[in-house]
Amino acid sequence: MCAQPVRPAFSRRSERGPPRAIGAKRLEGGQTGMFLRDSEPWVDDETLGQHLEENGVSRRSFLEFCTEMAVVLGLGSAAAPSVAKALEAQKRPTVIWLEMQECTGCVESVIRTEAPTIGDLVLDVISLDYSDTLMAAAGFAAEKAKAESMAKNKGSYLLVVTGSVPTKEDGIYCMLAGKTIRAHLEEAAEGAAAIIALGACAHWGSVQAAAPNPTGAVGVRDIIKNKPIVNIAGCPPIGDVVTATVVHFLTFGRLPSTDREGRPLFAYGNRIHDQCSRRAHFDAGQYVENFDDENARRGWCLYQMGCKGPATYSPCPIVQWNNRTSWPIGAGHPCIGCTEPFFWDTMTPFYRRLPDVGGFGVERRIDTIGASLAVGAAAGVLAHAGMTVLHQIRRRKSTRQLPEHGAPTEDSTNG
Amino acid sequence: MTTDQVKPLARLPWFQVRLPRARGDFTWIYLWGAPLRVSHWVAALSLVALFGTGIFISQPLWVTSGEASSHFLMGRFRFAHFLAGTFLVMAGIIRVYWLFAGNEFERWPALWPFTRRNIRAMFLMLKSYATIDPKIQPHFVGHNPLAQVAYSSIYVGTTIMICTGFAMYGQSNPGGFFYTAFAWVPAILGGLQNVRVVHHLFSWLYPIFFSIHIYLVIRSDYLERGGVVSSMFTGGTYVSSHDEFEDCDLGDHPSVPWHTGEHPTWVKPQ
Amino acid sequence: MASTKVVIDPITRIEGHLRIEVQADAGKISGSWATATMFRGIETIMTGRDPRDAWAFTQRICGVCTTVHAIASVRAVEDALDIKVPQNANIIRNLVHGMQFIQDHVIHFYHLHALDWVDVVSAVGADPNKAAALARSISPWPNNDAAHFAAVQARLKKFVASGQLGIFANGYWGHPAYKLPPEANLMAVSHYLEALDWQRDVIRLHTVFGGKNPHPNFLVGGMASAINLDETATINAVRLADVMGMIKRAKEFVEQVYWPDLVAIAGFYKDWGAIGGGTPNFLACGEFPESDPRDLKSLYFPRGIIMGKDLSKVVEYDHKKVAEYITSSWYTQSGGDDKGLHPWEGETNPKYTGPKAPYEYLQGEKKYSWMKAPRYEGHAMQVGPLACMLVGYASGHKDIKELVGAALGKLNVGPAALFSTLGRTAARGIETVLLAHKMETWFNELITNIKNGQTATFTRDKWDPKTWPAKAQGYGYLDAPRGALGHWVQIENEKISRYQCVVPSTWNCSPRDAQGQMGAYEAALVDNHPLVRPDQPLEILRTIHSFDPCLACGVHVLDADGGLLAEVKVQ
Repeated sequence: MCAQPVRPAFSRRSERGPPRAIGAKRLEGGQTGMFLRDSEPWVDDETLGQHLEENGVSRRSFLEFCTEMAVVLGLGSAAAPSVAKALEAQKRPTVIWLEMQECTGCVESVIRTEAPTIGDLVLDVISLDYSDTLMAAAGFAAEKAKAESMAKNKGSYLLVVTGSVPTKEDGIYCMLAGKTIRAHLEEAAEGAAAIIALGACAHWGSVQAAAPNPTGAVGVRDIIKNKPIVNIAGCPPIGDVVTATVVHFLTFGRLPSTDREGRPLFAYGNRIHDQCSRRAHFDAGQYVENFDDENARRGWCLYQMGCKGPATYSPCPIVQWNNRTSWPIGAGHPCIGCTEPFFWDTMTPFYRRLPDVGGFGVERRIDTIGASLAVGAAAGVLAHAGMTVLHQIRRRKSTRQLPEHGAPTEDSTNG
Repeated sequence: MTTDQVKPLARLPWFQVRLPRARGDFTWIYLWGAPLRVSHWVAALSLVALFGTGIFISQPLWVTSGEASSHFLMGRFRFAHFLAGTFLVMAGIIRVYWLFAGNEFERWPALWPFTRRNIRAMFLMLKSYATIDPKIQPHFVGHNPLAQVAYSSIYVGTTIMICTGFAMYGQSNPGGFFYTAFAWVPAILGGLQNVRVVHHLFSWLYPIFFSIHIYLVIRSDYLERGGVVSSMFTGGTYVSSHDEFEDCDLGDHPSVPWHTGEHPTWVKPQ
Repeated sequence: MASTKVVIDPITRIEGHLRIEVQADAGKISGSWATATMFRGIETIMTGRDPRDAWAFTQRICGVCTTVHAIASVRAVEDALDIKVPQNANIIRNLVHGMQFIQDHVIHFYHLHALDWVDVVSAVGADPNKAAALARSISPWPNNDAAHFAAVQARLKKFVASGQLGIFANGYWGHPAYKLPPEANLMAVSHYLEALDWQRDVIRLHTVFGGKNPHPNFLVGGMASAINLDETATINAVRLADVMGMIKRAKEFVEQVYWPDLVAIAGFYKDWGAIGGGTPNFLACGEFPESDPRDLKSLYFPRGIIMGKDLSKVVEYDHKKVAEYITSSWYTQSGGDDKGLHPWEGETNPKYTGPKAPYEYLQGEKKYSWMKAPRYEGHAMQVGPLACMLVGYASGHKDIKELVGAALGKLNVGPAALFSTLGRTAARGIETVLLAHKMETWFNELITNIKNGQTATFTRDKWDPKTWPAKAQGYGYLDAPRGALGHWVQIENEKISRYQCVVPSTWNCSPRDAQGQMGAYEAALVDNHPLVRPDQPLEILRTIHSFDPCLACGVHVLDADGGLLAEVKVQ
């Protein structure tokens, strides 16, 4: 885990949510509840050591985990003890994970997290009471476990949702245990404290919602209106962002501040373009002009290869993928914009900067249309100018043949 | 007007033949106030700059070599683009002010000439352009309604360009002024990439408009002798007091010899 | 005695939404129905798109088998446009796909399949010292020591004592079909946790070459990750050393943990070598081309068909003999629902005729699944690692023959035991071991190429759509971790006009066809299959999981316009 703290993106955006005291005081020691001023009551006289001992936790490993979490959350490692404290304060909170119309890539992504690892998360941090992909029970036993947990933790559990909801044909395009997935979602959302819509499908529908959206797939926000929802955008999102959001919720007792798309600011607060390691090449005018050309082998900017970084808000350049091994642009491929809604339609073709527009028989590039219209206009102007001049000459000739008309009119000049 | 009033240079035989003969009285009409003229030329120059730099930004025509730190090519183009953009906005602000403070030809109601008579005039203009026959062309002192519609459309198009432009400009500082002020743009268009598409698409208005606009004003000068081109420098144009105009009754205007330089200030007709 | 109706919905620890219904009589299963309950329609969405984008769309068919649909897609488009990728790109794809196999199979074994064989709760009562002795007797793995096992056990104890069992709640713990001693269970639980950490390390190979995982990036014409030893942002010694380490750790874990565990656990469940064989025909389309994918001789895993468990001969695979039936699927077609159509002629008009939701049973319905039923010359087929290994075994593939023989010897069973639930699980392990070794060969080849100055990763001459023919069509095959996969693409005027996939889970999870033949899941469940406690259907999970179902892959819409492709070149 990189020791460098992620920039506390949400501390400086006062117009979106009330200001938090995170940025201001984060260099202080971790003993007081410095960043919990407006969330959880905190005991100032209890030391961390006592607290951890009381809870019988291996202090070292738990602190390591908390440091990692704090860094991902953008709090700086100094905040780790407070995170530890908040997490240890209660029994493991219940998480229900509902999988809908999806490819399970989001689950795989969460399994790849570094901090906390999925093992730590499931055994130490949360109580994952229902997860299609991971749970031991199946069928009736699984549904029973879910129902019991939902009843017992009504109003307090966190609902994680991956996948979209098909709305056509009364939702029969995705069924679970004999019921539509929509019914499952509505039932699970009912008693949830908050919902994490994980991945592009749960966010807005993703690939199955790409035109022509055969099954009428929509995201969670289109179905559930009365619960706080945070969208972890991406196809799939980075697993560490998911666990960071879960821990944020558990630590601060609320979902993180979000942007207009409902995405956490700590991850989606800036564009890829503005955080890209290849940005210097963009500004310098140094571009890859074809894959594996000389410029690609220098690691120049992928702007001309259709990179959607300038239109995409994502933590990829900063958090990076799979224990900060790399990220798409880092591995030489342009960004496809997968954290933005409707990217399958707005960001395609992926290898061109702009989409094609229809309506001209065949779809064409915008610039081709624009340039041909401009050339057409210029040609029209030239033709019209030529005809006007001809017309004038002819007219002048005809007026000259009528000397009785008197003096030439104003038309006779300049020819 | 008599021949002895012609200036010495014009007495040369070559010029003499071609100079207009006296034909009644001319009136100099003050059409375009200084703010409008200034905003016109500022906008024209900045639009040329915006289009040129915009093309480079969308499709970098050449790449630099060597260390990235020793170049700032795209950065400079973008800076020029943004700078020209601010000039365009300034011109726009002046124009908007002048929509309320200007004269009848400049005020906001002139932007949509959609009376029955004007629409008929538009068709006549179109017919005249199509048949290349200036005789059927209705006469206007100010912009003819067809031209006015074109200009109004350019105002609309430019507003869209400014909004989409600032929406994208604001993205580099999320939460900042431009980001917040233009947050509605990507929301309406369905995402940032669509904002880019619209910005790109509308940018092609300008080369199209420029070629037609420049052609038609020169053509108008050539055919009507009104001095449309110079009116955007001097503010006014000469019209024959004997001609009839759709948008103005010249009866109230004193006729002024064209060369005296005694330009009357605009008097509201009727 | 009346038979008991049992419904398992959802089948958990798989990809996607699968419903299994069975009828059980006196501890045996007599009837079974497999239902795919989700439908997305991705192929319809492909029409009119840029063929160079296709890989990204098809990749999202499945996030568990991430990469496989992307590779099949770029192969199909490259075949259509006659693009030959540089050898380096081919090696990198093999490395990426190989690591996908290894990681996916290990995850499947420990996290999706193991809980069918391993009683997690019983591990609480194990003796860590005995567990260490057991573990050390089968493998030199450094973490196989008493201290480590004790720590895992303490963690597990605390977890169980918390009363919050989470994902382990309501498991069938204590079921009589669990036969492992507590010590073996503890060892498996320890490795369950270690595998979680291991997989996120080795899969980073995808991130190095494709930028992320799941869903790394691919490129028609090669790979986007340029090689330049003298730059920081490219594939250089730092990246290659990282990859080398991952390949080494992948091999170590497979050799020292996965394979010994599998053999050890299988030793306790030898009876499952006679259970759940099912469909006797096996299809493998071949994988890991070591030169151009069109050169079938260069395939590491050979292509072919085994009919009727007959290992004496390998039948040649001709994709034109594939037909899909919708007799039992929620679609209609113009020529009548009982007609089998080749994928190119396939129609897909989704038409749900099942009971209104919520429903209790689907058995008895004429149509009961979103899955179509592909058949080869009218025969149902099994695909997957077992098919792959059987075809290799029957073709006389040296590595496969050797390892299969060794495994059978260790378990002291004959080749007949391969045709079973246990056989499928064992074949998956054999495949993984083979690939874990092969990865090093491929990696060394890449290094040799770079040493010799061959650094190209991309063929650019057909990148520009203007260089494409007005019409083109291509076929991309791939043997995925779950079996034989095919993508077919037709390109017209620079756009996809038709796109189709025939996917492993479609073969395995298919419902009954016009002749009433069951799909592989269904057939396996009625082949000498026990079900001791209908309310705790552990045995069913074992057999279904042994196929490693991937439902999102299996259900897809064939092109809706139903037009006929005249000819597609297929090698």
